[in-house]
Amino acid sequence: MIAPFSHVLALAAVVFTLGAYCAVARRNLIMMVLGVEIMINAACIALVGASLRWGSLEGQSFVLFILAVAATEVSVGLAIIVYAFRRAGSFDPDAYNSLK
Amino acid sequence: MQIEYAKFPWLSAILFCCVAGMLAIVFIPEERKTLIKKVSVVFSGATLALSAYLFFAYDKGVGGLQFAERVQWIPRFGIQYFNAVDGFSLPNLLLTGIVFFTGVLTMWELENRVKEFFALYFLMVAGVFGLFMSMDLFFIFVWYDVSLFPMYLLIAIWGTTRKEYGAMKLTLYLLAGSALILPAIIYLFAKSGLGTFDVAALMHPGTFTLAQQKLAFIMLFIGFGILAGVWPFHTWSPVGHVAAPHAVSMVHAGVLMKIGAFGVLRVAIMICPQGWQYWAQLMAALATIGIVYGALVGLRQTDLKYVIGYSSVSHMGLVGLGLSTVTPEGLNGAVFQMFAHGVMTALLFSSVGYIYDRTHTKAIPELGGLSRVMPVASGYFILAALGGIGVPGLANFWGEFMVFIAALKVYPLRGVAVVLALVITALFMLRVVQRTFYGPENPRWSHLPDIPFSLGLPRMILASVLIVLGFFPSILFDMIQTATIPFMNGLLR
Amino acid sequence: MTAFWSDHATLPAIVLATFAPFAAFFAIMLFTRGRPRLSARLSIGAISVSLACALYLPCVHWRMEQPLEYTAQWIASGSFSIPFGFLVDPLSLLMLTIVAAISFLVQMYSLGYMAGDPGFSRYYAFMSLFAWAMMSLTVASTVLQLFIFWELVGLSSYLLIGFWFEKFSATQAGKKAFVMTRVGDASFYIGLLLVLLHMGNLDILELGGPKATESMSPGFITLAALLVFGGIVGKSAQFPLLTWLPDAMEGPTPVSALLHSATMVAAGVYLFARLFPFFSLSSTAMTVILAVGTISMLLASTMAMVSRDIKRVWAYSTISQLGLMIMALAAGGWFAGVFHLTTHAGFKALLFLCSGVFLHTYETGDIFELSARGGRNLKIPALTLAVGAAALSGLPPFSGYFSKGAVMGALSGLTNPIWALAALVGVLLTAYYSFRVVFVIFFPGSGVAESSVHSHAAGEGHEGGHAETYRAMAWPLLVLAGVTLILGFFEAPLRGFLFGGATAPEAHESVYALMVHYAAIGLGLLGVAAAWVEFGWSRAKRVGLVERWSPALANLFAERWFLDHFYRAFMESVIDKGFASLAHWNDRRVIDGTIDGAGRRTIDAGRRTALWHLGAIQRRLLTTFAVVAFLALYFFL
Repeated sequence: MIAPFSHVLALAAVVFTLGAYCAVARRNLIMMVLGVEIMINAACIALVGASLRWGSLEGQSFVLFILAVAATEVSVGLAIIVYAFRRAGSFDPDAYNSLK
Repeated sequence: MQIEYAKFPWLSAILFCCVAGMLAIVFIPEERKTLIKKVSVVFSGATLALSAYLFFAYDKGVGGLQFAERVQWIPRFGIQYFNAVDGFSLPNLLLTGIVFFTGVLTMWELENRVKEFFALYFLMVAGVFGLFMSMDLFFIFVWYDVSLFPMYLLIAIWGTTRKEYGAMKLTLYLLAGSALILPAIIYLFAKSGLGTFDVAALMHPGTFTLAQQKLAFIMLFIGFGILAGVWPFHTWSPVGHVAAPHAVSMVHAGVLMKIGAFGVLRVAIMICPQGWQYWAQLMAALATIGIVYGALVGLRQTDLKYVIGYSSVSHMGLVGLGLSTVTPEGLNGAVFQMFAHGVMTALLFSSVGYIYDRTHTKAIPELGGLSRVMPVASGYFILAALGGIGVPGLANFWGEFMVFIAALKVYPLRGVAVVLALVITALFMLRVVQRTFYGPENPRWSHLPDIPFSLGLPRMILASVLIVLGFFPSILFDMIQTATIPFMNGLLR
Repeated sequence: MTAFWSDHATLPAIVLATFAPFAAFFAIMLFTRGRPRLSARLSIGAISVSLACALYLPCVHWRMEQPLEYTAQWIASGSFSIPFGFLVDPLSLLMLTIVAAISFLVQMYSLGYMAGDPGFSRYYAFMSLFAWAMMSLTVASTVLQLFIFWELVGLSSYLLIGFWFEKFSATQAGKKAFVMTRVGDASFYIGLLLVLLHMGNLDILELGGPKATESMSPGFITLAALLVFGGIVGKSAQFPLLTWLPDAMEGPTPVSALLHSATMVAAGVYLFARLFPFFSLSSTAMTVILAVGTISMLLASTMAMVSRDIKRVWAYSTISQLGLMIMALAAGGWFAGVFHLTTHAGFKALLFLCSGVFLHTYETGDIFELSARGGRNLKIPALTLAVGAAALSGLPPFSGYFSKGAVMGALSGLTNPIWALAALVGVLLTAYYSFRVVFVIFFPGSGVAESSVHSHAAGEGHEGGHAETYRAMAWPLLVLAGVTLILGFFEAPLRGFLFGGATAPEAHESVYALMVHYAAIGLGLLGVAAAWVEFGWSRAKRVGLVERWSPALANLFAERWFLDHFYRAFMESVIDKGFASLAHWNDRRVIDGTIDGAGRRTIDAGRRTALWHLGAIQRRLLTTFAVVAFLALYFFL
């Protein structure tokens, strides 16, 4: 293994933080979904690194499942966002407050 | 307590009739309204026939619990499907049958969402029947809630005056009651150490200490008392009566309030008799206030159904007073009064139902002179009002008589106050009769038809029950005695 | 053989007598409401059966020594049981006969009086209901059973007073009668329940016996007796519950004749006579009762002196005569009270039925107007009116003379002369007001002679058109007048019957008693003379004594001593505007206000909490992350 496992974990942590920041701070629904995707990818990186570290394939197969689920999730999420945009006329998450 | 098991599950058959009736209605197409009504009449008639059969087939010489059926349901928690009836529950079972059947007939002219109405109505009555026959605390609680929820929909959808408010108020009040009942039941379950919800087992003397009984009793008394319209938790009842459609008012005032009193009797008093003796003074005080207060507020009402609602508060106070005396006469009187009041109120609401369907008003000042226009319909109302006044020859007299005896024996001053409250009751009932039915003919109503025989049938049934019991009270008294005397003897020993 | 026959026929006869009208009531209500003639026939048929039985029974039991009692278990509860039964003794048989006879006559009379009324069937149904309740009351074997029928009598009275329910005053009067007697009944009810609790049963025969004194202390007996007497005060319209009776005249006149003179109001006196041994146990109670009877008698007499309505005069006189009976009974004169009850039933029914004919013909009850329109031309009613008034005033040889004599005898037996004196004043007033009515109607005075001729013709025409009606109403008058004439001479046999085999206690004939007796006759004649001076002779001023002396006093009498004002004010300001309003306010503001307020607070709290959950999805996400991060720090570091 070229890179030590701790570096992989550090990368995953950085990517996760970026994703979290993106999901929390950006004022756009699409960017929020993107942030969520980045967080998922951070988890994937950690899983892949771990499976290399312990020489087990479960981690990698898990990642494949996650990718599939993430793809569907994005498609459904985007569809919802499109519908929501039609209703509210905005991508700003604060505009969705009809529960109030 | 002696338990006699039945060869045929008669009690479950009653519940089965309710549920089967509900399912049958659900599967009938919406448009076939007459068919729905006919099916309702058949199934409710079957429950009446079954409860009447049980009433007369009960072996009074043997007494105790009869027609019992017991199935383990969740053995780990000691929850059983355990039904049985005794002299306390049979009158109530019969009452439910009568009010149910006549209620269906009263709603014969319903046109709005017939299917949903009758389906919910059957569900509600199934809960009532279940509660009266169940001997398992857990099931008693379940049936209590089963009967409450359809009530909300029935009032909120088919009701009249301020129906959402009335329905919401009623439901919240009664849920507050069940919020007290459930902890009390669990408390009893936990403290008994028997690992069972079986009422017959829990009521064995010595199961609970005095302190436990005191706590459980007051929770159960207030919890069920709310449903029985105990002062000062009564305000849901007039509002609910007014808002509800006629048949629901009938079941509501006629039977549902009895559930409360019956719960106090079956659960609170029978399981915690020492707690009962401890709290009797409080019960009597609340009941006396309720009787006088209900009559006084009744004086000020201008809506026909409000008047009946407050008279119910007053009359249910008599039941509470009877229960509070800790005497056999008091218990006899209370159960008798429950039955008599149920029939009388049902008749009152049923008659008001006919009048309201024709005139579309319940405001007393707008009515007047109806006796000339619809003498028969007015006659039923007047008869029931006379019953409410406590005129002899009608069933209520006997219930009141027994309660008065017991009250004068135990609480002389309150007894006197209650007898004097009869005068106020007479005053407001007669005032209503005078303003609604007497007086010159009102041209606004003079085109209205009198009640035809077919529509008069439910009123006729109720009226004849009142009269028959007025002359032969022992039909009911002998039945109630089979439960009262052993219970009180066991208590005094 | 006779004994055997009578023993076996007594029970069926009583059952038949009491239940025949009940069956008629049900039959009419259920089946023949639309067929007035058939209804009337049913009702009259039933009451004829009752009358036949009621006449048969005293004949069989003329010399009965022991009261007969037939009972069966009715209900049992806890420590006591309540039987249902019939008590047959001379008193109950006498009352049964009176009720049946008067009911029969009144129902026959009503055929004319009520002819053509839209509620004809209903009228006869209620009449039958009343007859059933009243006759069952007389033969009840326990006080509870008596109370039950007592209430039913009150109920039928309510229905009959408010019979013309389109008239506001009639329904008002019915309600007033029911509620006012109900006040008395509540007292009676409490009294009988107390007795029941202490004695374990309410058998009428045991109530005055040794068992009562054993189980109850003297103070308790006084209390119970006074409570029971409360019922009598209500039903017999004694002071202070007397104002419902004059208002009850709003009902049809035959109803007034039947209920409010001869039978229903007499039920109170009957109860007193029935429970006489029980009341005798407490001398305190007897004195109070004596005082109440005296006050009622005098008050009602003063009211009658100024009333212009013929029916109201007789209503007041009824109260006054009932007061007299109660005085007699309370003074220990059991026979005197019962005898006066008997004769009074006859002549008071007569007076009311006479007034009914006037009312039916002229459609007014005002005596001066009746007089002006030629009331005296109705020969039979006018004549019988005089007979009735003479009996009421206690003039010989009418029945009232004998019974009043007996009452005076009883009162003169008391050591305190004030009661006899009060009764004598009552006699004077009674004679005055009864003959005031008679003279006003008989002698219309010179000023109105012409119009009298005019309306006389009109009256004749009216009468001619309803000859049949008139005849139906006239013959009961003649029968009753006949009875009034001869009944007094049957005092001795009646006394023998009532006291059964036992020898009747002879009236104590002292000089004082004789003086009182003659004073009563003298004062009666004086009253008649006074009425003659004021209303009768040709130069009479036709204005009453009281009105001339003091209009304020007359007003006081006419307004019934302001008792009604007091009751109305009490009802309105204390009950309606006081307690009821307070309770109503409490219900809406305090109880409902608290509950609804609590509900509103909950909803507000929910709203405020909801502010936290505004759409801000990202804020929540941030919170989640922060919390997770802090948890991670906490657990892993």
